[in-house]
Amino acid sequence: MASLSDIKPLPPASETGQESREDSIFKRVFLSPAVAVLLVFSIFPLLWSLGVSVTTCQRSASAAGAEAPAPTVGSVMCLGNPADFSLRNYERLPTDSRLLTAIRNTLFYVIVGVTVQYCIGLLLAMLLQQEFVGRRFFRLVFLLPMMLTPVAAGYVGRMMFDSGISPLAQFQRTIGTFLSNLTGLEVKISVPFITDPGVAPFTMVLIDSWQWIPFMTLLLLAGLQAIPDEVYEAARVDGANARQLFMRITFPILLPISLTAILIRSLEMFKLVDIINVVTGGGPGTSTESLVMYVYDTALSFGNYGYAAAMGFVLLVMVIIFATVFLAISRRLTRQQLGVG
Amino acid sequence: MRKRSIPATIGLYVILLLWAFICLFPFYWMITTSFKRPLDVNRVPRYIPFVDYQPVTDHWEFLLVDEQAKTWRYFRNSLIAASASCVLSVIIGSMAGYGLSRFKYYWARLGWRNDNIAFWIISQRFLPPAAVVIPFILFFNFLRLIDTHIGLIMAYTVFNIPFAVWIMRDFFNSLPIDLEESARVDGASRWQAFLRIVLPLSAPGLVTVALFSFIFAWNEFLFALMLTNFDAITMPVYLAGMKSTKGIDWWYISALTLIMVAPVMLIGLFLQRYIVRGLAAGALKG
Repeated sequence: MASLSDIKPLPPASETGQESREDSIFKRVFLSPAVAVLLVFSIFPLLWSLGVSVTTCQRSASAAGAEAPAPTVGSVMCLGNPADFSLRNYERLPTDSRLLTAIRNTLFYVIVGVTVQYCIGLLLAMLLQQEFVGRRFFRLVFLLPMMLTPVAAGYVGRMMFDSGISPLAQFQRTIGTFLSNLTGLEVKISVPFITDPGVAPFTMVLIDSWQWIPFMTLLLLAGLQAIPDEVYEAARVDGANARQLFMRITFPILLPISLTAILIRSLEMFKLVDIINVVTGGGPGTSTESLVMYVYDTALSFGNYGYAAAMGFVLLVMVIIFATVFLAISRRLTRQQLGVG
Repeated sequence: MRKRSIPATIGLYVILLLWAFICLFPFYWMITTSFKRPLDVNRVPRYIPFVDYQPVTDHWEFLLVDEQAKTWRYFRNSLIAASASCVLSVIIGSMAGYGLSRFKYYWARLGWRNDNIAFWIISQRFLPPAAVVIPFILFFNFLRLIDTHIGLIMAYTVFNIPFAVWIMRDFFNSLPIDLEESARVDGASRWQAFLRIVLPLSAPGLVTVALFSFIFAWNEFLFALMLTNFDAITMPVYLAGMKSTKGIDWWYISALTLIMVAPVMLIGLFLQRYIVRGLAAGALKG
């Protein structure tokens, strides 16, 4: 993205501009499949989605009739049912409290989740950068959670945080009993990881972090390994302490790759659905429901394709705004850092 | 490197072992759960086989013998969707990557050149699938592609192409052009030079792209959930569906999870360096 411009394609065989006929055919043959696939299956659906979002497209006609008739400007067929053009879906967006909860949860996952993953990922990367016996073993082990299918990670997390059968629950009970015996008071420790609306979103973050901290670790470790030792040696000769080494050297040099890693993880986090689906199904209530989960529920459980498409656009707009702001800020940060360093 | 003090070394190992435990314990738990009798799962946690519970292989037998046809069907669906979309993304992605690396494009209407086209392609990767899933349902419904392998393969190929193009373009850019040119001087056509000279040399890049495409498709959940309902259901959707049946059969879920993650784990362990390279390339260049 930021560095796009500095990767220059190699000059083609005919620099002078006189392409052979063969080449001018071939360059089209090589590129067109990818462009065609993306146009047909990515741009076209996006436009279509915009179209669907301004209709009352429903899976079954009866559900559409149940709601108050909206002013229509024409009609269209959708899945064999008549549907009307109307802006009802967009009028409903700002008043839908479940949607607002879903947006808030999604932003919570993006901000809290990525922060947790970055901090722990950076710590682990710096540890793995040290020299010690068994480094290869630890590097491999630390990568393992990332290899798990997200649905599987969800189940594993649910087994770990279950309030009855999990080792963690037993651990809490043991500590509770121990404290009871010690103090003579009734002490019961039981964190409702999955069943409490206030705690459950944090549990989702923990499970997702367990899986994706390795990603951060991996990228940041690659960044750390690119820093030459001489830089540190020179700073130490100048009398810098560990804190200064981190703040003045490690962190600034890691900044570009950190920003990229954070951007990639954030964009992935906007799409979070598998773990939530498996662990809580969006509950308790709608306290852990993400935006993608709500889109899925609206489309498949309620059959309201028009509204689901409109919400898909809300997500798209959120992602675009986030990416734009993030890129602008990171460009500024990197430039500042270059200016100082 | 400087010498560490002994307390620092101890601290280092304490954190490393703690984190290794956090990474490994869930795997251990999943493996042991798949060998526990339901009573050993549902009352209090049991930790060590043969010491506090007697392991049984009933659940594995149930999945691999009694329900073999069912298990194999979902596994096969995943395998078909993942490998076919992987092959397609590698072919289409490497062709486009080669084109963008070796030819000059100019699209007069938008004033787009190679870099604009490349940026447009990679930006597709960040499109949230939820924004396009509805038209996919309608479109596939129209084409009768709902609940078919072809439908899933097409959807996954679309999402894999941007990454494939990005990695392969980078790879071809780093490949010296002289070899192709000399082959061309010897009378080989563009196509022959691409097939005989360029592709064999770019095997590492192709492996990276193939791995990522396969793993993405193997793990994908949202599209598989939305676009299949019976015949073409993939492993993740089948597994996610198991929670809704009466109670949760943790032992079956654990065993099935292990069956599902086995291919990816094996790929990951043996081809780790390609995965690391792919992630690093995606992030460093992205």
